[in-house]
Amino acid sequence: MKREHPEGLLGGGDWYGAPVEAAKQGKGKAMMGVEVGAEDEDVDELLAALGYKVRSSDMADVAQKLEQAEMAMGSGVAASDDAFLSHLAADTVHYNPSDISTWVDNILSELNAPPPPLPSLPLRFDAPSPVDRQNRFLDLPPSVSKQSTSTTELPLVTRRTPAEVYELKPVPALPAARAPVRLAYGSDFQLDVAPSPRDSKRIKFCSSPPSSSSSTTDAATSAASPLPVVVVDTQEVGIRLVHALLACAEAVQQENLKASDTLVKQISVLAASQGGAMRKVAGYFAEAVARRIYRPLPRGVVGCSSFDSVAFDDMLHMHFYESCPYLKFAHFTANQAILEAFAGCRRVHVIDFGMRQGLQWPALLQALALRPGGPPSFRLTGIGPPQPDNSDALQEVGWKLAQLAETICVDFHYRGFVASSLADLEPYMLLGQDTDDRGGADNDEPEAVAVNSVLELHQLLARPGVLEKVLRTVHKVRPRIVTVVEQEANHNRGTFQERFTEALHYYSTMFDSLEGGAGVAAADSAGGRDRAMSEVYLGRQICNVVACEGAERTERHETLDQWRGRMTGAGFESVPIGSNAFKQASMLLALFAGGDGYRVEEKEGCLTLGWHTRPLIAASAWRVAADPLSARGT
Amino acid sequence: MAGGNEINANESKMAVPLNTWVLISNFKLAYNLLRRPDGTFDRHLAEFLDRKVPANVTPVNGIISFDVLIDRPNNLVARIYRPAPATAAGSIPIFTDLYQPPSSDTFPVIIFFHGGSFAHSSSNSAIYDSLCRRFVSLCDAVVISVNYRRAPEYKYPCAYDDGWAALKWASAEPWLRSGKEGKLRVFLAGDSSGGNIAHHVAVRAAESGIEIAGNILLNSMFGGNRRTESEQRLDGKYFVTIQDRDWYWKAFLPEGADRDHPACNPFGPNGVRLEGLAFPKSLVIVAGLDLVQDWQLAYAEGLKTAGHFVKVVYREQATIGFYLLPNTNHFYEVMEEIKEFVRFNL
Repeated sequence: MKREHPEGLLGGGDWYGAPVEAAKQGKGKAMMGVEVGAEDEDVDELLAALGYKVRSSDMADVAQKLEQAEMAMGSGVAASDDAFLSHLAADTVHYNPSDISTWVDNILSELNAPPPPLPSLPLRFDAPSPVDRQNRFLDLPPSVSKQSTSTTELPLVTRRTPAEVYELKPVPALPAARAPVRLAYGSDFQLDVAPSPRDSKRIKFCSSPPSSSSSTTDAATSAASPLPVVVVDTQEVGIRLVHALLACAEAVQQENLKASDTLVKQISVLAASQGGAMRKVAGYFAEAVARRIYRPLPRGVVGCSSFDSVAFDDMLHMHFYESCPYLKFAHFTANQAILEAFAGCRRVHVIDFGMRQGLQWPALLQALALRPGGPPSFRLTGIGPPQPDNSDALQEVGWKLAQLAETICVDFHYRGFVASSLADLEPYMLLGQDTDDRGGADNDEPEAVAVNSVLELHQLLARPGVLEKVLRTVHKVRPRIVTVVEQEANHNRGTFQERFTEALHYYSTMFDSLEGGAGVAAADSAGGRDRAMSEVYLGRQICNVVACEGAERTERHETLDQWRGRMTGAGFESVPIGSNAFKQASMLLALFAGGDGYRVEEKEGCLTLGWHTRPLIAASAWRVAADPLSARGT
Repeated sequence: MAGGNEINANESKMAVPLNTWVLISNFKLAYNLLRRPDGTFDRHLAEFLDRKVPANVTPVNGIISFDVLIDRPNNLVARIYRPAPATAAGSIPIFTDLYQPPSSDTFPVIIFFHGGSFAHSSSNSAIYDSLCRRFVSLCDAVVISVNYRRAPEYKYPCAYDDGWAALKWASAEPWLRSGKEGKLRVFLAGDSSGGNIAHHVAVRAAESGIEIAGNILLNSMFGGNRRTESEQRLDGKYFVTIQDRDWYWKAFLPEGADRDHPACNPFGPNGVRLEGLAFPKSLVIVAGLDLVQDWQLAYAEGLKTAGHFVKVVYREQATIGFYLLPNTNHFYEVMEEIKEFVRFNL
């Protein structure tokens, strides 16, 4: 049976093409393996299609390195070689396996001069006084990895409500010698921070892979952007429901009001006979479409949320945090990158673009408290939106963290910063106030800065130029590390129909993971409440993606490849996240999520967490590129 | 065997193109780090190092893929590859069209079991995603790549059970049937451990009365207690060692079993007799520089002796993994053999 293929590549016997042809033709390159940018003309296409980046001109050199590594490791025949190999495998941290050259370099340097192992973290942190018994978050679960890795590691925080995290007994009176905790509010001084000298680190960062400059124009990517689909329910009803939803989106796209109206009603009927995740997802999408086609005139805020309060938002966020591992993964991975970037620094400053309830920071504080050599002086700038009821949530969060820091003896400084938009931030605001309160002797060392953004940057895409401005501000702050976590989805490009389709598959998978993840929780249990509120949390995102446009549409999720392009374009280069973080994240999942469907994957130095084979959230780390002007060309 | 590594490297370097050598040597280096002498496996590092690609319903060269959760309790996922539905033409296909037959003519369904010596890789590994796409365009087939449970965490018979579950699932999908009789025309295929799985699933199918149109075994993984001539001659010479083969068998086979266990040695002293069973026709592809070849050839002989059709394709100068990159005659000619075999037995 012969078949004509309209694309023209596969007529007759020319089926050899497949991925290779795609690579040569420049389309589908991103889909089959590594992203190959314009400056990577020399990259071997066949290997690129399989996920490896090796320049053709380097091939012989890479082959030689592989040979050397193999000879150095021996063939594993002798028993002594086995022991050495195990040690090597256990202690080496690997980065960015797509770049074979630097990956092998790393192994060779481990083989030639294995650094002394660092003392491993205690498995239990014994609180110094009975008062701290309440600080249960300090206890580590016993099943921490048998193989200690060579970096300081984050303790795995056991499950508890955020309220419990901050539940502290009154602290006894402190000896006078302790430095007082300083809290500041608002913005003050301007301070230029010189780039800190590169400390010699235990972990050697490989040179970043050639930065891919993915096109920032829509034309190149939107027509052929990959769409991963995981089908968890192949029942007839489920398929018809999805079909109706997609047909509805098409009707809306074609501005066929009558058809879309009919379909919305049909969807409700179909959804009623559906169960589980699909029913809920369909419900949210149907509601969102209904809002879109019946939006009130004159066009004001569509109001996807019944409550517009920041407190409600934060509450939903916390339930989402508890019900599934995505935010925990985000915090954990970002903290690991920050921890490594801060190695050897005595004064550190974290700027959190979305402070909320500060769920990310107790674990980092604890890890810093436990690090070899003692904790640094730690400054936290938390940014949050204005509160309509004039309450000072930002300040309160800071107080709680300060109390925590006190009990674990970390010199802690906090500043809450209210901003309606991250675009309101200027570098001097973020760098200010670095003189009096930090103690004399350490003042000579400039502070190391980390900028942390979890699910914040995509919102800036709602207005032109805003993201660029914010990234410029970040760049000027000269951070040692910028951690970025974003939804792994393409909800910002293409037509409404394409966006709807993408979002339908994304949120179907997301809802399915909520169902399958922690097992079935009774509706009135804490787990059940978490899940219910998480569905509302996600439902609001769905509403925004589907019903809103323009500046209102803030849930403008983009994929890792797209963010890569934006970050490199703004003068940043990738800091690869290593196998140690990957391992810990995987173990974290096994402990908490309970659902075997969660998967961590490594993609060119970044980590993603997904459900089955579909990545849903991506974490990456960045630093200021060596030469900002030629960052694109490196 | 360990001595003279330099000579070995030169030999294997002369046998394959340089980029193939880099690819396979890269795997070899990584795999050496993952296998621990105590029989455990560094699964986290393995997953970190494996290059994966997501499924994609946007057509690429006229082919789309999507993942299906076949069996929730076991988290058994399979990746379906198929020609893009006619309506798609560059844009996202209509969801219901995913489940329409790709053609009104008869078409083959190839259930593919990826290799990795029972321990490595997944259905979403880039090397196997690439290979499966190739099979779709090669044979105008729907390919189902099974993400079976791996050793050492899941020993025999988990991988076979998952293969069987995938076959049963495919048998129940109406859109996979074709032709006047409206039946499933299914081939079982696999490389390395996948070939071994294909054999054992075919046995179970034959015993259960499910008709398999053909088996395609690519450098399949078999073994036995004794050391064959090819194992001794080629040990360590072309990327593979007897020692690593032993490790993988130990990881897969039940505790205390040896390599004459029927899973490993189906025509050995503990093998199941296949005479009189409606066993499918087999295409057995053997690489002449693969140290396991004597076992693969013995397997083919075993099938013949039991009265079953087998075609052996022996590529004298080919190493393991020749089918991963389209850069040798081995690759193209073997693909032609597969195409012909499927076409002939459809």
